[in-house]
Amino acid sequence: MILETKKLVKEFGKLLATNAVSFSLRPGDIHAIIGPNGAGKSTFFNLITGYHLPDSGQVFFKGQDITKLPPYTRCRLGITRSFQITSIYPKLTVYDSVLTALLSHQKATTHFFTSAKKYFKEEVWQILEDVGLADQALITGDSISHGDKKRLELAVTLGTQPELLLLDEPTCGMSPEETESIMTFIKKLVDEKGLTILFTEHDMGVVFGIARRISVLHQGTLIADGTPEEVRASEEVQRVYLGGAA
Amino acid sequence: MGKVQTEEKKNWLKRGWWLFLLIALGLIAPQVISEFYLLILGEALIMSLFALSFNLLFGTMGQLPFGQAAFYGLGGYGMAMLLTKYQANFWISFAAGIGVAALIGLLVGLFCVRLRGIYFSILTLAFGQLIFVIIYKWHDFTGGDDGIQGVFPPEFLKDPVAYYYFILIIFCLSALILWRIIHSPFGYTLQAMRENSERTEFLGIPIARYMLMAFVISAAFTGLAGALWAPFYRSVAPSTLMWVKSGEPVMATILGGAGLFFGPVLGTFLLTFIHAYLLGFTHFWPIIMGVLILLVIFLLPGGILGFIKEKWDNRQKQNQKP
Repeated sequence: MILETKKLVKEFGKLLATNAVSFSLRPGDIHAIIGPNGAGKSTFFNLITGYHLPDSGQVFFKGQDITKLPPYTRCRLGITRSFQITSIYPKLTVYDSVLTALLSHQKATTHFFTSAKKYFKEEVWQILEDVGLADQALITGDSISHGDKKRLELAVTLGTQPELLLLDEPTCGMSPEETESIMTFIKKLVDEKGLTILFTEHDMGVVFGIARRISVLHQGTLIADGTPEEVRASEEVQRVYLGGAA
Repeated sequence: MGKVQTEEKKNWLKRGWWLFLLIALGLIAPQVISEFYLLILGEALIMSLFALSFNLLFGTMGQLPFGQAAFYGLGGYGMAMLLTKYQANFWISFAAGIGVAALIGLLVGLFCVRLRGIYFSILTLAFGQLIFVIIYKWHDFTGGDDGIQGVFPPEFLKDPVAYYYFILIIFCLSALILWRIIHSPFGYTLQAMRENSERTEFLGIPIARYMLMAFVISAAFTGLAGALWAPFYRSVAPSTLMWVKSGEPVMATILGGAGLFFGPVLGTFLLTFIHAYLLGFTHFWPIIMGVLILLVIFLLPGGILGFIKEKWDNRQKQNQKP
């Protein structure tokens, strides 16, 4: 197991956002977390990446207890995330944004006197080619299209060369064509680079099209966990969430 | 890959000419201008170094420190006290000024980097005033409101022209180092923190630790400016540590443009020379400065240098089109 949580609990006031969630993720999987709005998907993500600390329970990454580690240490261990609301660098160029991630991952950020432009040229261009942003490399992040910002965020997360990538609604606000191409790309990452992907998504077409395993959250509780077929067949999931739509 | 490189080289040739021109002007200045204005020029260079160090935190890292004068004053006091009270060698005293500023910068920074935004500004202001009050009240040790007199440079630097060249050399070297820091991987990390600190933390950067490093570097260069000032003025006074002094680099940077490396330098030169010129006529110069700053904030939000660069870039683009 690359990631495991044990009886993870997080309360906000009286709201039980994560209710004793025990969950495990196999290396090389594309794993979706689904559930209605307010089911606790984002909170669960935040507990894994260290944005929030749980009230009780534990998180393990490759067998190591990371429950109390700060976000930057988890990133150094190989967990990187994207955000639901696109989180980019508005005034940095696309090239520099990806370069920043590589500098951080390669521990070059305490080099004080060499020009940053000299670092990781090939790696940055490779990532930009991969996500299809090479032709916009010298434009600032705030002046590219919404779909491209999502790609940029993906490019930046790839700059940290993660083993586990958490994507919070990676296709939110994208056109069907853009969604298609980003999903193909994510599949390629898993098949060719051996990444493990955990993602949340509203679009059930995307979820059932790409996920190899699916977990369903409802009011903070994990109510189903299995292959897409198993989840689709689960009566409880039908009742609380899918409602016959899928 | 090649595209970025060649573009950079072209830019450097195109944009570098004015830098050589300015350095040449700086070198011949003592032959051209009166001694009064040479002193003003020396002051402008020292204050420019102060403003550049400030802008490492403000323009590059995106946090506004409002107690930087404490490090400027500590640089001056550190050097002056070692020189006059303990009769230490000039160069040792000079280095001590920088060291004291950096060390206190580290202690103060440990607290300040826990906060961001306005809370960071207020805490730096509070620490700045605290250091000011200690120096102001501790009469037996620091001379209190009398300050320290008789801070003389070594014999070969006593001539105003010689000391001017000394300032010019130190300024150019420091500016070069700061330029390289800002364009290094460390500088890029600070910019990323300014643009989106949450994203940057999730890329594996411990934000507070990097803020602290930048804070100490800034304090050290600010202390260097203070250590240059004391022998230039032959004395230091507690007013060099006061919050009013902390406001000077803030205003100069906003006037010149925080987004460009030389913005704070242009702003400092404008403020220093306008001040020196207007004092000949009127004591109401703060009114004129206030109006100037208001105009820049409303009309040129990128500062004067930011405005010039924008116009220049647009012209370059138009020239390239046909």
